[in-house]
Amino acid sequence: MEYVSPEGLRLDGRRPKELRQLKAQLDVLSTADGSALFEMGNTKVLAAVFGPKPTELRSQEDEKRAIIRCEYAMAAFSTGERRRRGKSDRRATEITKAIRNTLEQTIMTELLPRSQIDIYVQVLQADGGTRCACINAAFLALAAAAVPMRDVVAACAAGYLDSTPLLDLNYMEDSGGGPDVVVAIHPNHSNRVVLLQQDNRVAVETFEEVMELAVAGCRAVADFMRGRLLEHTEALAAARAEGDAAAAAEAAIKQGSDDELEDDDY
Amino acid sequence: MASSLISGGEVEWITCGISFNCRNDGRTRDEYRPLEVQLGVLAQATGSARVRLGETDVIVGVKAEIGSPDPDRPDCGRLNFAVECSPVASPAFRGRGGDELSGELARALERSLYPGPSGRGGGLDLSALSIVSGKTCWVVYVDVLLLNIGGNLHDAVAAAAKAALTDARIPRVEVVPGEDPTDEPDYEVDDDPAQAQRLDTTGLPLCVTVSQIGAHCVVDLTTEEELCSSAALQVSVNSSGVVCGLTKRRQQGIDPSVLLEMIEVAQRAAAKLHAALGDTLAAQQEQLKAEG
Repeated sequence: MEYVSPEGLRLDGRRPKELRQLKAQLDVLSTADGSALFEMGNTKVLAAVFGPKPTELRSQEDEKRAIIRCEYAMAAFSTGERRRRGKSDRRATEITKAIRNTLEQTIMTELLPRSQIDIYVQVLQADGGTRCACINAAFLALAAAAVPMRDVVAACAAGYLDSTPLLDLNYMEDSGGGPDVVVAIHPNHSNRVVLLQQDNRVAVETFEEVMELAVAGCRAVADFMRGRLLEHTEALAAARAEGDAAAAAEAAIKQGSDDELEDDDY
Repeated sequence: MASSLISGGEVEWITCGISFNCRNDGRTRDEYRPLEVQLGVLAQATGSARVRLGETDVIVGVKAEIGSPDPDRPDCGRLNFAVECSPVASPAFRGRGGDELSGELARALERSLYPGPSGRGGGLDLSALSIVSGKTCWVVYVDVLLLNIGGNLHDAVAAAAKAALTDARIPRVEVVPGEDPTDEPDYEVDDDPAQAQRLDTTGLPLCVTVSQIGAHCVVDLTTEEELCSSAALQVSVNSSGVVCGLTKRRQQGIDPSVLLEMIEVAQRAAAKLHAALGDTLAAQQEQLKAEG
């Protein structure tokens, strides 16, 4: 199986260092405190944040910081082959732990003692890079829920096939048997690594190359997410300004009619 | 279910509003919220739909796989419903928390579609899904995922399942007999979407939940309104106005005379719902065809 053509094109037509198309939408669910839909190519993930709120179980309460509860779920229709997964599926448990760990390092939990933040991630479509998309979606949902965070957290994966470092592997490339390096960083703190996972064998020099590529990918994702957050906030501010202007106009009309009444009375 | 708090004052307000035939969002007692449907939202599925009824958000994926028929019905395909309550809808659905609700919703869907012994007469003609009698058939999995709760889940789920099944394109299968008559036949699956088989979903019923609030019957409740309701009747009605299923829900009893009134209310509402869904589906399919 050829993953990189002689012209340097991958299976889906991308260049080796090209990210898939990124899309993000915020506040897509009304009940959650914050939510986001994040897409990396065909991988589509929905994240919802409930909280910060008082801890549900007193026994789990931490007097110094907020506790984070996390759950990862994959829809039965999310993969090419339909599969109904239990929530205690080992892969799901491992990914849940990875997401929780990454976000615990990002959220300023010490500012919210005795409280709890629930982060739920639902995979709608899986085409490689699901855990990265989950972390990115969760970050956006946390931002939408106004949870205080130390930094942006952005995740991206990279691999090595046909002697070429490849950025943002899709499902086919992921199953290619080459190394798969998943990285999440805090871009404004000298790219400090908050998540690092690697599958399969790789030479150390190759690993360095692939890791560097993944970090570059993370920075690109972070820039994209920051841009979307700014757009979203501007839209909210504009809507609020409209609302304020409408309320002010209404109040002016009411004031006018009150004045008229006073004139009539006297 | 997600626990919500509601005060006595709010219940009073909502109940009074309903007796004046004016609900919080301005609707009358027998009005549905606008139904938004998007078809083909999942690229890898045989058929899919996303339905929004007010704040309630449901996504359904349909997958058709080749399998073997039920020994009791050798000439029929199989239809399998599964509902999942996503934790993104509520923290109450974490772990196994959503199992009870999802089981209830899945069973409600199944029961409204029970076919006769020949596979026909139910909501969907299962004999159309047969490939080789007694050996192979299409097994159609309908997976429902609840994304957001805004009240009236059953109705939204039934509408979404119908939309997704309407969107489904089952690949055409050609049975190529082996050289020897005793050989296993070979199957050629045609991937061309233009050649795909569409399901006849005109017989699929829709669910109308009629609830009692105070002394009145109301349809399509929001989450707050559901907290004010003591009894409800779920009625499955098909596009010809025939009742295909009934389930009584919630804690209090219903007077038999009110029961008949509720069924009539449901039939009237169902007619409008079928029309609304039919229009939206037709428009969506036109759009998809135009986009190529």
